[in-house]
Amino acid sequence: MKLNVERKLTQSQKMMVFVLSMALFGLSKMITEILPSNEIGPIEFSVSYFAFIPLILCVLFHPLYAALGASVGKIIFADLLMGDFSGIGELEGFIQLTVGMYVAGLIVKNPLNKVQLTIAALVGVGMDQILSSVVDITKVWIGIEGFDAVPGLPESIVLLEAVSFVNEMVITGVLFGVIPTLILVPRLYGKIEPLLGMKPREKRVNASMAEFVKPGLITIVIVLGFVSMIAEFMAELDLNFAFWTSDFLLQFENGYEWIGISAGLIVLGLVLYIVKKIFSNKQQVEETIESNKRVL
Amino acid sequence: MLNVFQKLFSKLSVENIKIELMRTAYGTEETVLSRLDPRMLIVWSLFFTTVPWFIHNMTILIGLAVLMGVLAYMARVSPLLIVLLIIGVISQFTYLIFVALFLGGTFTALLAVIPLTIKIMIISLSSMAVFTSMDPEKFSDALLSFGVPGKFSFGVSYGYRMLPILIEEYQSIIQSFRLRGKMPAKKGILYWRYIVYFLKISVLAFYPMMLNTAKRTRTTVEALEIRGFSYSEENDLAKKLKLKALKMNKYDYQFVAITSVITICIINIGMFYPL
Repeated sequence: MKLNVERKLTQSQKMMVFVLSMALFGLSKMITEILPSNEIGPIEFSVSYFAFIPLILCVLFHPLYAALGASVGKIIFADLLMGDFSGIGELEGFIQLTVGMYVAGLIVKNPLNKVQLTIAALVGVGMDQILSSVVDITKVWIGIEGFDAVPGLPESIVLLEAVSFVNEMVITGVLFGVIPTLILVPRLYGKIEPLLGMKPREKRVNASMAEFVKPGLITIVIVLGFVSMIAEFMAELDLNFAFWTSDFLLQFENGYEWIGISAGLIVLGLVLYIVKKIFSNKQQVEETIESNKRVL
Repeated sequence: MLNVFQKLFSKLSVENIKIELMRTAYGTEETVLSRLDPRMLIVWSLFFTTVPWFIHNMTILIGLAVLMGVLAYMARVSPLLIVLLIIGVISQFTYLIFVALFLGGTFTALLAVIPLTIKIMIISLSSMAVFTSMDPEKFSDALLSFGVPGKFSFGVSYGYRMLPILIEEYQSIIQSFRLRGKMPAKKGILYWRYIVYFLKISVLAFYPMMLNTAKRTRTTVEALEIRGFSYSEENDLAKKLKLKALKMNKYDYQFVAITSVITICIINIGMFYPL
């Protein structure tokens, strides 16, 4: 509740934060898409996204709208416009990025505190990357029959993912996350807010860790993480199976694929419903707070 | 061969990219797909982006890829997107092969990757064909009618419209940085000094960019709110009025009928002559 009071926004300010974050992150994502990447075997040395943009906006403004805006911008600019739309698979990235950036925004209590900013940037990118690594590993784990039977296979998968995780953390997390955030947040703080017609957030708000690590948030994170995993399995069911064994596939051959499709649609519907619920609840809460204030 | 690449790269200037994106975004040209009902097109493209994952018959996949290729050609998808698609497919391909080899597979894994590549191609081509020819306003109306939150559907049309402006602004900021700044004197090994210099500029350019975009965002949102955007979102009557323009007509039914007949033919051929 404190968060809502502290960074309380009017209807149009919410919209502004959302649009700003969407436009900026979408643009940056497009730039990283065009930038060439250097690959050495399976390990890719490239900037996967300019993490500092959503991080800065989540720190300075209401983290929920900034995080949602960034994820939406990514889908619209980088995926729809560039013809790289992958259907249900988009859901995974959407949820991972939103959760990561939202939590990063919640961690920072004082936007001028460098330690907090560093931690937030690392946690934000780290959560995104860990979720995607876990999804990838689990995908292979479930996808391959007799996974443990192949000598060295589990180790090499985990090793590959670990290497790519470290690589992402160094490039996206530190070079394009922590460092630009530390440079730009103090410069933007107090300057960008008036342009949107708001007061800068206060420097010291006594919010404790327990304030936002509530069971509600934890369940949402877990549920969304789980849903994103399922979504990803549905979208890339074939990726693992095609490689290793065709026995498993036979089960899907005789018209059973409709089970998969319908399961995917159900999941999609559920997620849309949940997101809508969360949205309307949040709005209601904030509106009641606003009206209460006005009465007082 | 070298010449072809030089030609290709000379076309890959920022200016050209901007023009191509503008073409994608504004999509005013009359193409086969642009007159169709956007709702139908979205459902149609959802079908073709989901179904390939569940098909394991090479004949059907190749048939679908050809169908999508023809449709993408008719929708006049921009060459830039095609080049990016090819690069993406190749890099995915090499990645998967490497993983397969690395994990003790043999070259049979190579064959196993081909269906996956075709699937990715079908999906990309169909979504490109649809989104190139769809007017952003129509697209956002269609999303709204599916019950997608108004913020998202507005974001879509805003993104499409604003993107060329944003890119231009970003480019001019980068150019002014370069005018006032100094390139590193030495190249360094593998041009690393240049790379670092450009990456630094591309990050720092976001500082003025953020402030400018904030200003512009405020203008946009205020203009929207004056017209009652957030409130019309919750008002069913206003929504109904806005979505009245969406109608299925004869042309739409013809399109659906023709493409489904072709798809059924492809599936039947695939059943009898599986590769």
